[in-house]
Amino acid sequence: MAESNLIERGAGRPLPSAGELAALSRSLGESAAVAARRREALDRYAAAPMPDRVRHLWRFSNPSRLLPANLAASVAHEFVTDVSAVPEDGAFVLMRAGVAPVFRNSPAAEDAGLQISSLAEADPEALPFAAGDGGGELFSALNEAAWNTGLLLRLPEGARLAGPIHVIVDAGEGACLPRIAVEAGAGSRATIVEEHRGGMPGARVVGSSALRAGPGASVRRFLVQRWNPGVNGHLDLGARLDRDADLLTVLASLGGERVKVEVGSDLAEPGARSEMVGVAFADGASHLDHHTRHRHLAGRTWSNIDFKTVAAGRARSTYTGLIRIEEDASGTEAFQENRNLLLGDAARADTIPELEILTDDVSCSHGATVAPVDREQIFYLRSRGLTEGEALRTVVRGFLEGTLSRLPDGVREDLGRMVDERLAVLEGGRP
Amino acid sequence: MSASRQIADLNRDYASRYGFHDPEEYLHKAPKGLDHEVVEMISRYKNEPRWMTDIRHKALDVFLDKPMPRWGNTGMLGSIDFENIHYYLKPKGELTTDWDDVPQNIKNTFERLGVPEAERKFLAGVTAQYESEVVYHSIREDLEKKGVIFCDMDTALREHPEIVRKWFGKIIPMRDNKFAALNTAVWSGGSFIYVPKDTEVEIPLQAYFRINAENMGQFERTLIIADEGSSVHYIEGCTAPVYSSDSLHSAVVELVALDRARIRYTTIQNWSTNVFNLVTKRAHVHRDAVMEWVDGNIGSKLTMKYPAIILKGEGAHGEVLSVAFAGDDQHQDAGAKVIHAAPDTSSRIISKSISKGDGRSSYRGLVQVARGATGCRTSVECDALLLGGKARSDTYPTMDVAEKDVKIEHEARVSKVAEEQLFYLQSRGLDPDQARLMIVNGFIEPFVRELPMEYAVELNRLIELEMEGSVG
Repeated sequence: MAESNLIERGAGRPLPSAGELAALSRSLGESAAVAARRREALDRYAAAPMPDRVRHLWRFSNPSRLLPANLAASVAHEFVTDVSAVPEDGAFVLMRAGVAPVFRNSPAAEDAGLQISSLAEADPEALPFAAGDGGGELFSALNEAAWNTGLLLRLPEGARLAGPIHVIVDAGEGACLPRIAVEAGAGSRATIVEEHRGGMPGARVVGSSALRAGPGASVRRFLVQRWNPGVNGHLDLGARLDRDADLLTVLASLGGERVKVEVGSDLAEPGARSEMVGVAFADGASHLDHHTRHRHLAGRTWSNIDFKTVAAGRARSTYTGLIRIEEDASGTEAFQENRNLLLGDAARADTIPELEILTDDVSCSHGATVAPVDREQIFYLRSRGLTEGEALRTVVRGFLEGTLSRLPDGVREDLGRMVDERLAVLEGGRP
Repeated sequence: MSASRQIADLNRDYASRYGFHDPEEYLHKAPKGLDHEVVEMISRYKNEPRWMTDIRHKALDVFLDKPMPRWGNTGMLGSIDFENIHYYLKPKGELTTDWDDVPQNIKNTFERLGVPEAERKFLAGVTAQYESEVVYHSIREDLEKKGVIFCDMDTALREHPEIVRKWFGKIIPMRDNKFAALNTAVWSGGSFIYVPKDTEVEIPLQAYFRINAENMGQFERTLIIADEGSSVHYIEGCTAPVYSSDSLHSAVVELVALDRARIRYTTIQNWSTNVFNLVTKRAHVHRDAVMEWVDGNIGSKLTMKYPAIILKGEGAHGEVLSVAFAGDDQHQDAGAKVIHAAPDTSSRIISKSISKGDGRSSYRGLVQVARGATGCRTSVECDALLLGGKARSDTYPTMDVAEKDVKIEHEARVSKVAEEQLFYLQSRGLDPDQARLMIVNGFIEPFVRELPMEYAVELNRLIELEMEGSVG
């Protein structure tokens, strides 16, 4: 029983032993400081309660279904093997459980100052991860204790990258725990694509990704979730924005079976701006659960969220979004919009757009809708000679297009094809 | 200018208007704390049928068994000391339909609150509840002749046991939540209304609830049945004295609007700021029937109240119109729930809240559409006004939709009083206080418009009181 002595099963969750973490540290070639940090996080993880299902953020997803049964991982079935496709003026990184990231840096990116390294060599004290964010202590502590592939991207002050940094995380087989830290120095500019793909049936991913955008930095960050059917996972994407930093986050979530993704930005200093746009497409019997969080900690900050979901077949989409404006954040503007399109007779959508506002000098609004495809639009397209199925696909594609069009070249075409393939099954308005 | 004189005249606070209390004179006062003995005593005192006593005991077990809510303002909820509350207080004097027979001290109380005056002016029936018991009750003769029943719940249990037994706890079962269980165990008083088929009660029926004693728990139980094609408007108001320690008000209100019936239920809640107001209100709405909750929350320390509408029959319609005002040390956690359980049902929720000083108001709502409830339409609109840098506003709406052929819309806005509006009004000669008050009045106007005139005047006056000195 090689696998079971790696792991002691806790109450409904994996509980790695200290010896197992030490073996992981050795195989990744970590510093003593990183290994010590794992042990510390393990204690926090062991003490952390399961997320409270009574509270709305976990009312719709069962956390135990997102956790791996044990932490054994394998990359025997690699989904991505070609690492030669370095984007022009950018960089390419491939992450797989159990090994250090493989990466290629373009000469232009190298000249601009981009540094790519394994997290195993980084000083853990200097990383931008915030404790207990997202899924709460449980998921963040598990990732910190037992991550099995880690990446650090560092952009020095004033570095300007023309091309994207394309990071692919292969879900592989078993448990994949990727941990990614991005430090964008003052005044730097970069585009980062974090693409989660692959995965054998039963694979579990618990990912954590943290960004610190220094004063005046401008970052475009793309999260693409296109796991294979049968993959469950939890992804937490955090960001802290310093004075006048500007962040665009684009989220496209199309794959997996039971998935919870949490995306949060802390607007920590005056003048920071954060925009999020996202689409989720759930079909089959999948359940995609997305949470966005804008926390305004300082005055004169601005945020906007536009999140769209489509649920077809027997699928279920859940969206919860929080805007929180703290007492010291006067002069803040924050907006949120969530639109949900239901395509299947057995499809389901839940939405909870939340506001918590602790000071008066704000301008804040949110809106949410749930509706089927507009029959008038279908009628119009049919009168133009399209079949019912074609008309339906056109309307859904139009609903998603505004967000998909913001993805960078390459990724955009890829996802467009994926969406089209799924829509192809929708016939005559009866998916 | 007369407007400014009016505001100056109103420079009185809650303590002098509603916050007074009478010397405590009781026929029976249960000791503090709650156990099966207290429950048995209440039931015996009321000479209830055994089935009701059994329900009470069962509900007490449920109450003791259920944990406190883990959501909402758990800090404030945690400060409720269930052992420090009198669960039953019977004032001196028997229930009467003649105002002259009401004991003098209680009469004084309700006269100060303007209850008999209101009755003379515009009401078809009045119930006045003092502590645990209804002390005065009247209904217009013509309504009685039509078969309208309007009485307190204890009387209903004696005189109409078959109707009470049929509906009691059917809309809100004792297991619904901890406070519904508590109410079921120790309920006393409340209103019972039955409106026969195709009968229209044109003018409102009213109840007035008053807590007088310190550390008192008031647990009224209200049941309204509007039979097919009938209509009724019920209004309730509530106040309590200002004490240094807390009281608990935990009502259960069950409404049934049968086919084509129409119920409007209006509440002006103005408990003093030492009252926990934890109330469960729910209506079953049958085919083509209409339910309207008009809910104003001005007082209390913590209110948790989410009037619910279950649209059970095709074509049923529900509306919730609410206003909350949270001043210093207050948390108004209010909202609405609508469940669309039948096709072609529609609903509308409009919520307005004002937070002032370090007050906090939260909208917490649920809109749920069951599979098969095709053609449903609902819109939710939340507006929050913040007055002061320490004020807080939360919006927690949940939409859970399992049917694709629906149209669900939610919108919320939060803002402070616009400087341009203030500037404009001041340039027209209003002082900052008046200008702010005018803007607040404009903000809640859609709510006030729905109230009978006397209530609208009263609410405006309350808002004026609350707004005093809000500048600076």
